[in-house]
Amino acid sequence: MQEAFRTVASREAEGGREIAVAVRNVGMDFDGVHAVKNASFDLPKGRFLTILGPSGSGKTTLLRMIAGFQTPSSGEIFINGEAVSAVPPHKRSIGMVFQRLALFPHMTAAENVAFPLKMRRRDARTIPERVERYLALVRLGGYGGRRIHELSGGQQQRVAIARALVFEPDLLLLDEPLAALDRKLREEMQLEFRRIQRELGVTTINVTHDQREALVVSDDIVVMDQGEIQQKAQPIHTYRQPRNAFVANFIGVTNFIAGTVRAVSEGGDVSILRGDLTLAGKIGDPANPPAEGDKASGAIRAEQIRLASDAAQLSKLDCVLAGTVTDTIFEGERMVYEIACAAIGDEVMRVFDHDPAAHMQFEIGESVFLGWNARDMLVFR
Amino acid sequence: MRAARTAYPLKWRIMDALEGVAAAIWPARFRRATPYLMLLPAVLLVGLLVLGLIQIADASLRTLDTTTFQFSDDYSIANFRRALTEPLFLVVAQRSLIAALIVTAVTLVFAFPYAYLMVRTRSPRLRKFLLIALFLPFFIGQVVRAYGWLIILGNQGMVNEALGVVGIAPMRLIYNYPAVLFGLVQYMLPFAVLMLAPALTAIPEELEAAAGSLGANWVRTFIHVVLPLARPGFIGAGVVVLTLSLTDFAVPAILGGGSQDFIANAIYDQFFRTSDQGLGATLALMLVALGSILVGLVFALFGAGTLAMGRSRA
Ligand SMILES: Nc1ncnc2c1ncn2[C@@H]1O[C@H](COP(=O)(O)OP(=O)(O)OP(=O)(O)O)[C@@H](O)[C@H]1O
Ligand SMILES: [Mg+2]
Repeated sequence: MQEAFRTVASREAEGGREIAVAVRNVGMDFDGVHAVKNASFDLPKGRFLTILGPSGSGKTTLLRMIAGFQTPSSGEIFINGEAVSAVPPHKRSIGMVFQRLALFPHMTAAENVAFPLKMRRRDARTIPERVERYLALVRLGGYGGRRIHELSGGQQQRVAIARALVFEPDLLLLDEPLAALDRKLREEMQLEFRRIQRELGVTTINVTHDQREALVVSDDIVVMDQGEIQQKAQPIHTYRQPRNAFVANFIGVTNFIAGTVRAVSEGGDVSILRGDLTLAGKIGDPANPPAEGDKASGAIRAEQIRLASDAAQLSKLDCVLAGTVTDTIFEGERMVYEIACAAIGDEVMRVFDHDPAAHMQFEIGESVFLGWNARDMLVFR
Repeated sequence: MRAARTAYPLKWRIMDALEGVAAAIWPARFRRATPYLMLLPAVLLVGLLVLGLIQIADASLRTLDTTTFQFSDDYSIANFRRALTEPLFLVVAQRSLIAALIVTAVTLVFAFPYAYLMVRTRSPRLRKFLLIALFLPFFIGQVVRAYGWLIILGNQGMVNEALGVVGIAPMRLIYNYPAVLFGLVQYMLPFAVLMLAPALTAIPEELEAAAGSLGANWVRTFIHVVLPLARPGFIGAGVVVLTLSLTDFAVPAILGGGSQDFIANAIYDQFFRTSDQGLGATLALMLVALGSILVGLVFALFGAGTLAMGRSRA
């Protein structure tokens, strides 16, 4: 079994891109609770991977297994082609930024950053210069002498990042370190992460439940739900081609219309029947296509729906429904309309209008038409 | 009605009534005096202690006339001269001081792993067991416990009988210095654990995991992270154990069998055997001074630890 894993990992390593982390059929049980189930993915060197999922989906557990704080109940993790189950955390070359930072309160910022170098018995003469360089990298040059409690939340954040990077680990792990920051600072730090990661080229795994952060910072996104990996793809593909209804729902704002599959074509076109209404769409997951007669649902993003007070304005679109505005939500850069559509049993559709000032505003109670293109509707089983 | 009861529980109504009574007895315009009133019992206690000390200081300056058994009317420092020059008192003082230091060091070393396990264990049953084992000696009391050791370690005790079974001649395990040290460590252990545990609880477990991921094995994690962060607990525990052992009476009396007297035993002898209350008072004053100097030294060197009540940050 072990041998089989080993060959899998090294074969992929030979195939051009070097694999920094390979997770193979990894599972974790906490007496009966399956926190992680049969997870597998590869992370090539130098890439930034984000594990995205709702609370309790097993993200932290997966990360802790990679860091070595927990041993998988099943499966194996490879770092640089080596199986690491038997390697304790302090012998893995991993820098980790913890959810609550875990900075040492009895040390200064510089001492915190110097700690991993000292623990790794680096030449004491080179340490101060190196510490200063990494503090500068996170834009904290000159702050080395400060105590941890003398730094702001964002500054502490950056000390934690410098500490995790200073010994040039093979792998950087981030466990929702930005979750506690206010939105502005969080978005700033997200870009900071991306800048530093690109500058150093360190392979990174980031954990978050913030879909925006995942889209902004990552090269790849692994979406998890209930311990299972739902999809691994680049951000744009995760957004545009979600593999199942969970991913479609978790990322972005998506409307689902449930129905029965009426016809499936070779080219990936599919139509579903809802009451008297036939909706045309595309197969969402080619690996798991629906068949005629299956229950399925069509997913359409809120920004892909057009609104008009007159059906004629939407004549170029494949599908047009009539509805009544039940609520209008002003979110600053966009307007969100909630519209009840009679043809689908008064279910509410959410629609974005990204230019509220220039467009005509619809009032609550007003009758409107909404329409979209068949290629934008993904049908999932 | 039911909703109203949960939203405004009975407990609150009782408190309202009590507040009403309190307001009637102690009107609002006296409110400013309330904090001082609450301090009163403590002030009275400390005041009594100070009065006692003054009394003792007075007694320490009067010498006993051994022919008439009367105390002198005029003051002299003869008692202090005796206490500082007579070899017996020096031996006793030295014995107590060295014992206090050894007991403190050994107790802290033993208490730490116990407290650490109690705080960090994932098993609630083990934690409960450790806690009960910790409190059990408190229920038994110091004197009974010391007698227990006599039964176990005495010449006809269980240990010597067991040794006899394997053919080893009985040994004198009590009435010597190590026996007193042993008894004191055993007595102090719960105090030290109780002082250390909160300090350890205050260290987030994540810090230890972080140290691990940064390349520290458990020994270095302990030295560089746990130990410095637990320092306030060590200081608090150290000061308590040091003063309690320095001034202990029962353990040296029972396990030392009269041959291993500490300062407290010498004071007892002066008061109740030779009836030289002047010399007894002198020794008592010197014990207070010694204890204060030791504690002051610890605070000066290491800070006040948990005894600073979180005012000074480490
Ligand atoms: N030590 C543990 N013992 C028992 N169950 C655990 C343990 N750690 C995690 N779990 C369970 O495993 C599941 C996954 O937990 P995990 O911490 O990995 O979630 P997460 O995705 O990180 O969530 P969040 O976003 O809230 O941090 C949860 O149901 C959790 O209750
Ligand atoms: Mg988590």
